[in-house]
Amino acid sequence: MEDIKAGLEKAVRVMKIEVEAGEQEKLSAELDQFLQWLKPMLDLETEGADQVLVAHDRISVVRKDEARQADQAELQEAAPDFAGGFYQVPPIIE
Amino acid sequence: MDLRGKPVRKMVEAVSSKEVSAYQLIEKTLENCALVNEALNIFSVIAGVDALEQARAIDKRLEVGENLPLAGIPVAVKDDIFYGVLPTGLGSAAFKEFIPPYTATAVERLMDAGAIVIGKTNIGDMGLGSSTVSSPNGPTVNPWDAGYAAGSAGAAAVITGLCMLALESDTGGALRQGASHCGVAGLRPGMGRVSRYGLNADSSSFAQVGVTALSGDDILCALEVISGPDGRDASLAAEDKWAAGGRVAPDLQSESLTIGYPAAAFDLPEPEIREVYEKARERYQAGGYRLTEIDLGLLPEALRAYYVICLAETSSNHARFDGIRFGRAAEAGDLEELYAKSRRLTLGPEARRRSIFGTYILGKGHYDRYYRQALKIWNLVRREFNRVLKECDLLMLPVVKAAPVRLDEEANFLENWGADLFTAPVSMAGLPAISLPAGQVGKMPVGLQLVGRPFSEKLLTAVCDRLAPENKLFPHRGPS
Amino acid sequence: MEYEVIIGLEVHVELHTESKLFCSCPNRFVQEPNINTCPVCLGFPGAMPQMNEEAVEQALKASLALNCEIALTSYFDRKNYFYPDMPKGYQISQYFVPIGSRGSLLIEDDLGSEKQVRIGRVHMEEDAGKLVHSISGEGSMVDYNRAGVPLVEIVTEPNLRSPGESRRYLEQLKSILQYAGVSDCKMEEGSLRCDANISLRPAGTETFGSKTELKNMNSFKAVEKSLEYEIDRQKKILDSGQEVISQTLRWEEDRQETIMMRGKLEAHDYRCFTDPELAPIKLGAEKVEEARAALPEMADAKAARYGRDYGLPPYDAGVLTASRALADYFEACLAIYDNPKVVSNWVMGELTACLNEEGQEIETCAFGPEKMAELLKMIEEQVISGKIAKEVLVKSFRGGKTPRQVVEEEGLLQISDHGELEAVVEKVLAENPDSVEKYRAGATKVIGFLVGQVMKETKGKANPQLVNELLVKKIDG
Repeated sequence: MEDIKAGLEKAVRVMKIEVEAGEQEKLSAELDQFLQWLKPMLDLETEGADQVLVAHDRISVVRKDEARQADQAELQEAAPDFAGGFYQVPPIIE
Repeated sequence: MDLRGKPVRKMVEAVSSKEVSAYQLIEKTLENCALVNEALNIFSVIAGVDALEQARAIDKRLEVGENLPLAGIPVAVKDDIFYGVLPTGLGSAAFKEFIPPYTATAVERLMDAGAIVIGKTNIGDMGLGSSTVSSPNGPTVNPWDAGYAAGSAGAAAVITGLCMLALESDTGGALRQGASHCGVAGLRPGMGRVSRYGLNADSSSFAQVGVTALSGDDILCALEVISGPDGRDASLAAEDKWAAGGRVAPDLQSESLTIGYPAAAFDLPEPEIREVYEKARERYQAGGYRLTEIDLGLLPEALRAYYVICLAETSSNHARFDGIRFGRAAEAGDLEELYAKSRRLTLGPEARRRSIFGTYILGKGHYDRYYRQALKIWNLVRREFNRVLKECDLLMLPVVKAAPVRLDEEANFLENWGADLFTAPVSMAGLPAISLPAGQVGKMPVGLQLVGRPFSEKLLTAVCDRLAPENKLFPHRGPS
Repeated sequence: MEYEVIIGLEVHVELHTESKLFCSCPNRFVQEPNINTCPVCLGFPGAMPQMNEEAVEQALKASLALNCEIALTSYFDRKNYFYPDMPKGYQISQYFVPIGSRGSLLIEDDLGSEKQVRIGRVHMEEDAGKLVHSISGEGSMVDYNRAGVPLVEIVTEPNLRSPGESRRYLEQLKSILQYAGVSDCKMEEGSLRCDANISLRPAGTETFGSKTELKNMNSFKAVEKSLEYEIDRQKKILDSGQEVISQTLRWEEDRQETIMMRGKLEAHDYRCFTDPELAPIKLGAEKVEEARAALPEMADAKAARYGRDYGLPPYDAGVLTASRALADYFEACLAIYDNPKVVSNWVMGELTACLNEEGQEIETCAFGPEKMAELLKMIEEQVISGKIAKEVLVKSFRGGKTPRQVVEEEGLLQISDHGELEAVVEKVLAENPDSVEKYRAGATKVIGFLVGQVMKETKGKANPQLVNELLVKKIDG
């Protein structure tokens, strides 16, 4: 359970979602439940079965290399903070 | 004007021959929508002026002699499918006023064919889950019994006559389960049939765009329009594969179709539902269909593998919601705060749960244990369905184990996920499946699922119309 | 103590396509921000990636040119991490199966003998956008023009042993990729970027020391310099008995030193998995062989052929094949005017001087190979003198007119008319009696001076050979 708690904490951090303390504990318990629930799946014999990597793995679709410009204003309108030609974010120190 | 019971083809004829104008039809439909929506919470937005404008444009196109296969047909579009004129809410508080800069391929094709988008239907938190209970707008109420969730708002719109077609997504089974809970027909197309461009998919591997309607033939009318290659979705085979047999490949309509029947799957805990399925089976046999018992033992493991893959993909697909290019941004002093708060604004409790679990599954050490195993099981599931569909033409499965979620009870997340037991494995197999009305338990309808071979959608719609009860029942709450 | 230097390079190269990797936005370097974006490269929900056929072709070419084994089926994977320049919250890359692997490239080592640099993998991926930081420090800004531009990443095994080897590897890599026609490899414009991993170990030992990662080098020279600096820095640390901290360092060109960018190299958990939205890349064995056969001749082979077939000295052959653009120019010129040595001299001499002076590129300059050929033909046909030709080249280069137009419009035709020249010759002889005397006394070299005088009088238009003949005839006569 400690492992799961730590794992969940890491997942929350990596996913960059604010989670309240109570919610985190609840999620931790739920993750434990979920992993328990998955157990029979882990025991299933899968010897000789290749992984399916893509649902449509039997085809191969490509696009011709032709350039086209989209309407930029329409796209930029959707942004919460677009100004001076740029998408704005808080200061980042590199 | 009551749309209930009118076939799409008849309505198209009426509109095309100007017996009724698209404008009149839509005007009346919108009135009904406003009336019913208050009680059932079906729409997140009703098109109003835009729908009337669309209708006027359709009447003009008919005036100049255009032949429109869906002339004037009112369509409800699920709120995870983009339509560039109406707000597309995505089931997120952060997207309530979001007007997408593009329109989904399927919506484009429906509109080109003369259909009219009358509104966007309610969905769960980020479109997740097989009911709308987690919606930021509140759940959609089941038209048959206000104590239950509708399952899918599109199905509720169809059975109450607010639209003739509902364009919906189906990942783990939302469309099929919704059809079952509302007593309508719902088709999930197989892999490679309908473009998903413009669908906010939580799981790109399993999400499909399908159609809900009163009959298989109504569905077929829409499917013929939305099917076909689209350079914007790589899962669709290139043009030449479609040349043979047209867009919806014809299938044999033999009277002696064999339907595979996995007995174990029908051994359900609720006796009333069991009985509905038993009676349906007897009816089918009496109607000349051959039923053959087959073994499909992999369903419980398939469901688990489905959730492993689905959650992993969700965690990645939903990473784009960072408050920078679209959606809402939270007040933030630094980047980490912007992410954490904006993402919380966007993703509700169910979406957060899935992203976080999905990240856990893909993390170091867990990928090999869970994800890799799930990918292998995926292969086994494909093989198993392929094997079974060599023994029979169609496969019969329940759609649901039980009635939909009660609105006054909060179900455990795993119970909710478990509701996909008969639908999610079919999604994994990539096969087409239709949910058709099979009977009722009390007031509540129960559907049955038929699964076909790849590209057998036309056959499924035809069989659906032959198997579904002749006289359609409608819930009390329809437009008067 | 003596140390052995271990260097591995990771090079990102922008592919030379019309459109981006997964959408139709133009793949073009532009100043104005956010003008080449669309729902796909901005990561809008529901906007699925659409694979660019040409990018695959080019990645295949690059892999083949670097002698890689080719994966007949390869996939795209998602590398998940958050950063504002990464619109989807993941980068689409080839993590599990790269299109090319186990390649190699030949360079000279520090002692001048041939060395094979082993290339671990060549994989395709999409570029990120660009972050710009406001001067006031109030915020940062993102430009997504570059987001989704096709890249190949070329990763060497850690088998480079010095900054010099590293530079030569980069030069050779650039030449090969340019010749293969997959990228212009301009480090200044960011179409080639290089990160370096470097560690030291006591000479003769086997275990690798802890490495540092160097970033932000803007030229091959900077790569070499930063590695030299870093070797020195690590040496001092090790000599003092301390341990090198594994970290990311940033090369500061102004200060000519590396500074710490990120602390301890964090083991990133990118949670990679195969992108469910993209079909696999499937290459038939036949297609791969066709592409291999169609690979253009590389610099070394070309230089050898120039020596063998055209009799050019190794120096000329080396200069002419230094870039594919130069070699292409030379060959295009030769196709019209078949005199390799003359073409070589003019291309390496006058033309190169002009390009340098005007700050232009050979592939885009107004003086194309057909103009060069026309010019050289006019010299051969004695329409103009070599001296005038130099003037014509500059004028044609600047003004865009053909050499013939320049000659005609400016009246630069060579004077080969006996009568006209005789008058000038007589005038010059009359003005220079001393020289005539000297000539007659046996100092025949003085004829050169007299020719020069005639050329001066005719503003260089006189046919020098004819002038020579006339002078000798007059004096002797």
